[in-house]
Amino acid sequence: METRKRAFLKVIILGDSGVGKTSLMNQYVNRRFSNEYKATIGADFLTRDVTVDNKLVTLQIWDTAGQERFASLGVAFYRGADCCVLVYDVTAPNTMDSLDAWRNEFLEQADPLHHDEFPFVVIGNKTDIQAKSEKNSVTQSWCSGKGNVSYFETSAKNGSRVEEAFQTVAQKALEQDTELTKEAYPSPIQLPQDNNKSHEGCSC
Amino acid sequence: MAEGKEAEQVSTSDSDQADFIEPETPVEIKNSMLVTTDSYEHIDYQDLESPVYDSHPSGIIHAIVRSGSVEESTDTNDEELHTQCEESNEDASSNELSSKEISDVTEEVSKPEVPELNSAEFDEDDVQTPEWRNQKKHVFILSEAGKPVYSRHGTEDKLVTIMGVMQALVSFVHDNGKDALRCIIAGEHRFVFLVKDPLILVGVSRGQDSTQQVLLQLSYVYNQVLSVLTYSTLHRIFKQRRNYDLRRLLSGAEKFLDNLLNMFDSEPSFLLGAVECLPLDSVIRDMIAQSIVQHAKVKDLVFALILANNKLVTLVRMKKYYLHPMDLHLIINLVNASESFKAAESWTPICLPKFDSSGFLQAHISYLDESCQTCLLLLSVDRESFFTLSDCKNRIKDRLLKYNGLKAISDSLTRTSYSIQQCGISDLRHFLYKSRSTAQYTSPELEAPYLSQEEQERLFGLYHYLHHRIHTTARPLKILYSVGPHETLLGWITQGFELYAVFGPLVTKPAAIHAINRLLRWIKKEEDRLFILNSVTF
Ligand SMILES: Nc1nc2c(ncn2[C@@H]2O[C@H](COP(=O)(O)OP(=O)(O)O)[C@@H](O)[C@H]2O)c(=O)[nH]1
Ligand SMILES: [Mg+2]
Repeated sequence: METRKRAFLKVIILGDSGVGKTSLMNQYVNRRFSNEYKATIGADFLTRDVTVDNKLVTLQIWDTAGQERFASLGVAFYRGADCCVLVYDVTAPNTMDSLDAWRNEFLEQADPLHHDEFPFVVIGNKTDIQAKSEKNSVTQSWCSGKGNVSYFETSAKNGSRVEEAFQTVAQKALEQDTELTKEAYPSPIQLPQDNNKSHEGCSC
Repeated sequence: MAEGKEAEQVSTSDSDQADFIEPETPVEIKNSMLVTTDSYEHIDYQDLESPVYDSHPSGIIHAIVRSGSVEESTDTNDEELHTQCEESNEDASSNELSSKEISDVTEEVSKPEVPELNSAEFDEDDVQTPEWRNQKKHVFILSEAGKPVYSRHGTEDKLVTIMGVMQALVSFVHDNGKDALRCIIAGEHRFVFLVKDPLILVGVSRGQDSTQQVLLQLSYVYNQVLSVLTYSTLHRIFKQRRNYDLRRLLSGAEKFLDNLLNMFDSEPSFLLGAVECLPLDSVIRDMIAQSIVQHAKVKDLVFALILANNKLVTLVRMKKYYLHPMDLHLIINLVNASESFKAAESWTPICLPKFDSSGFLQAHISYLDESCQTCLLLLSVDRESFFTLSDCKNRIKDRLLKYNGLKAISDSLTRTSYSIQQCGISDLRHFLYKSRSTAQYTSPELEAPYLSQEEQERLFGLYHYLHHRIHTTARPLKILYSVGPHETLLGWITQGFELYAVFGPLVTKPAAIHAINRLLRWIKKEEDRLFILNSVTF
């Protein structure tokens, strides 16, 4: 209808502590990797502009502290996310088992309109250590059983498939950012064959 | 202004207080026009944050539309009114999220382009500039999800980071014991938060505004948003889509927010919760009002008013319904911010949140004179009445021309307001006088030393300070006499009025008291020219 402003998309990264959430975000946004392990305190976020379908969008990626679960930022914080990234460590199979809990907790707290359709992207990280996740097929089937879920295996260390994973995140997030139904905004008053009027204050 | 704050506070002893003899209602009001005396006192600062009025849309519009039918609707619900207002779109489906097929992930991803390095950098140049940082007042609106909706300075695109932090702060405090973040003071900056589900409004002030004054400003901003969208629509949107990017629906309305904030910084009316009337001979004002009454007797017309240079010339209302000053300010802002009304008669929806936050009134807006100074607004609940109201407008205009009503208005405008000399009181430099029961105020022109922009801002700051000290401190005051290095301030609140007066620094207290008593007598003498004293209804 009118010149659309650049979309702004909110993305949340969740997963057990140490799986590489902070590293992934740093790799994606800053192209940097550090071997040093610093536990994230509370939450942190970075933004990056990315092009999806020829549209420039801004991703705001929130990294959270896994060990504290949702306690750190408050549930209200997760509301209105456009996409959620669930990360596990391919070298630590138990971290994959937590995905279900993370997904449920996110849905419960963020409470999007249609739980089954909310977009998730699952990332198995640290493929530079172990080329293929032994849980690969398990994860694949977990993902396909959950609705709108995509799966990637990445390395935050060498950057492998990180771009692709986040490109999908951006794509899915943008799909959430759709127009409202017509009824949400009243239509302008139509005056028959009157060329002497304007519709100030109406968006249409 | 900072000096004023530190200035000596001369306490008013009991004997002093005896000098302030409360005149019996200085302005005689039969029938207050804007609001009923008992329903509206002055802005209650505790109330600013309470969602009471807006969580229960009064449904007045609905009631008017329905009136005539036997069943009086007492508890109108949103849904009902919604259907009422938007019957033409009824069929649109309420939900458009569609489930997505999950294809093989490896195929789904299109070849990612190699990102240019600079796109990865924080693109926050705007926010880093000293100009941006040094702005006196920032106002931000974000959704509860932390998405930018509006920023007074800088483009919201560049403010993603700041908005994110603000949302996290609000959310964090909220979740820790269902508390609410109200204010953060950091150095000389004051960050004030107003959470009006589903929006978060944040004001950042570097000036001397108090927390309550910033809150008041944020409430106006919130009401301005409602004025464009209605409370019902705003809530329906975020119920449907928590992640919704509200900028889409507000695009084009930013200028109203900008203009409102600029007016807030220069017009005392917002601070006082009152409007200024154009000084007019009461006979002429009556004639103008009667022209409207006689020529705009149209079903469903709720308010008819004439504005000239942001001042109220006359207001005619439907019996039973009152126009709240906050709503009137939104109307004034609408007219003040729009050039396009000057080009043609306009037909625009406007929601007046204090009147009915759940729906739109339809406003017929036109200028009556060639020079586009005198603006007529006809506010109706009937969305089909453009041509009827257009006819009314022509008839009103003819009559005002015939009886020199328009001339009287433009004469008053060229005389601007009145000079403080006219009041005949030496020592007095400037004042604001608010008649509480009518929610109207009067004030003389600005004269030396308040001619430069800088001095005017300083004077405005003094009024803010005085107003704050009187109303919003833990213990509200009735009288405050404050001697500063550049001027002496006197504030006096009674049942009937609020007076804020500015004197030279050397005035003595008895002289100041003498002066304001004379001023009150002068206002009493002039009141039927300065104020609209009787309410006119259709
Ligand atoms: N080899 C390897 N190490 C990684 C990778 N991603 C993260 N790490 C390391 O794993 C540890 C935890 O990473 P971090 O990003 O802090 O995890 P978080 O707790 O999920 O945020 C750090 O020592 C990282 O250097 C990866 O892809 N490959
Ligand atoms: Mg971390």
